[in-house]
Amino acid sequence: MTLEFVNAEKRIHDSLIFPSFNLTVNKGQVVAVYSSVNVREQLIHLLLGKTLLSHGEIRLDENPKQPNSAGFLFLHHGLYERLSIAEMLQFTKRLHSSKTSADDILRLVQLDGKRSVKINQLSFSEKKRVQLACLLIQDPAIFVLEEPDQNMDLESKRIFLSILQHLREAGKVVFILTGNLESAVTSADTVFQLDDNGLRSIQMKADEDEETADSTGTLASTQPVRFEKIPTKVNEKIVLFNPPEIDYIESNEGQTFLHIKGESFPCVFTLTELEERLLPFGFFRCHRSYIVNLQKVREVVTWTRNSYSLVLEDISKSTIPLSKSKMVELKEMLGLK
Amino acid sequence: MTFSWKRVNAIFMKDYKDFSRNFAVSIVIFLSPVLAAIYGRIGVTAIESHYMLINLTFAMVAAFVQSCLIAEEKEKNTLRGLMLSPASTTEILTGKSLLSLVLTLFTILLSMFLAEYKPANIAVVAIAILLSALFYIALGTLLGLFAKSVMEASVIVLPVMVIFSFGTFITSLAEQYPILKAATYLPNIQLLEIGIKVEAGAGFGDVWLQLAVIAAWVVVMFMLTAVVYRKRMVD
Repeated sequence: MTLEFVNAEKRIHDSLIFPSFNLTVNKGQVVAVYSSVNVREQLIHLLLGKTLLSHGEIRLDENPKQPNSAGFLFLHHGLYERLSIAEMLQFTKRLHSSKTSADDILRLVQLDGKRSVKINQLSFSEKKRVQLACLLIQDPAIFVLEEPDQNMDLESKRIFLSILQHLREAGKVVFILTGNLESAVTSADTVFQLDDNGLRSIQMKADEDEETADSTGTLASTQPVRFEKIPTKVNEKIVLFNPPEIDYIESNEGQTFLHIKGESFPCVFTLTELEERLLPFGFFRCHRSYIVNLQKVREVVTWTRNSYSLVLEDISKSTIPLSKSKMVELKEMLGLK
Repeated sequence: MTFSWKRVNAIFMKDYKDFSRNFAVSIVIFLSPVLAAIYGRIGVTAIESHYMLINLTFAMVAAFVQSCLIAEEKEKNTLRGLMLSPASTTEILTGKSLLSLVLTLFTILLSMFLAEYKPANIAVVAIAILLSALFYIALGTLLGLFAKSVMEASVIVLPVMVIFSFGTFITSLAEQYPILKAATYLPNIQLLEIGIKVEAGAGFGDVWLQLAVIAAWVVVMFMLTAVVYRKRMVD
């Protein structure tokens, strides 16, 4: 069983939601699509068969879409709050004529101690786990998860990740839709970004790969090709960013953070090392603890004679401090006096 | 897809558990038996008051409970889960109506017993009551589909309660205002007529017209509900 998007393109009236893309999710694979809320909702509607693609098609295992082979985990949980967890699972099991054992599922989501507790007495994260349990008991071939770990506590996130591992081993197709890059990177094997510019893969590699790369480090250093991507660390994984994607870099208590589209990612390099690497890409050390991507600067604001700020053109209109000595340097770079 | 009683039963059991813990809604089933007990004790034996009680039960239990059950599924986002499940529309609606039907019949039996009403021809009255129950459940489903929440459902069910439970007074009003003659074809008034005729010793042959009118109401209401369900559930 695979989930396949072929030349999928969606327009609403005249505005493009996403241009045509191809994506295949295979058995035992967890793929996340990082997108805005609009794109996410459109994808959900398409997968539910409520709306149709403008071009292309969605294929489940080479067949035209049949709605029941996919199971959905929605952002808003639909649980009967007056039932207990065990009753809820029993109901779902009978409704879907499923053979899966409710006890196994309860152990998997680690709620077996609370089986007779009513759902309205559970915490948000526990309700999410019940919702996940209901999906697991349906045992669909394709799991579509909408913002699966949003607002979840750490314990539940850990359980969620172990369930994903379980699904991989069971050879399920898992398709995660999220607006949180960190969540996408943590849970999925492959992460894509989908917006009106199309589908792009967000490159990353697991820590194990990094270690093997280290052992061949001498080889790498002799190669004349300079590696330009900037690595950041999200939990156990390393995510690589293209320098032009970065809005600015901030150093806070000895740790550097890359700011990309309103999210921040810790980076292993110091500001001085980064400054050296990024200078050719039009980056500028505007402050003792900031490096800014000059391509993204919209305004230079003068507050007083000695205090300046840079306003970026990113979504949140971030302001970055600019120190007085650097102002002179910047003016020189811009060709002003 | 084949009709599966297993799924219907799953929905029925789930609704039963859910309903028995939802006191805000389940309290209404006690209303008419209590009234019936009072009527029975003070010795009200007029056939009109027995049928007022029965019609009140229909409005309170069949229509109100059914609309709340449907509206709550919508309010709590659970209807989507049901619709994505292998259960078909018929199975979902049957499962959900079954609880209201059982509750209605049980409440009416209890009320009749407490009010000490013993119809002269039980078979005729039983069929009339069963048909009427189907009408009120379809009506409740329809209201539930229009309401967005339980709160809204309990408000829009009020006119139904007024018209159908106290509507038996319309007959006396219709003598003054001929325009209200049309209202005498309402199922509650037809049911009352059956009740009166049965007391006068009528059998099936004498009440087939009334039964046909109620059956027509049932068919119209079922069709209307099916149309609205399709329209409302596409979103």
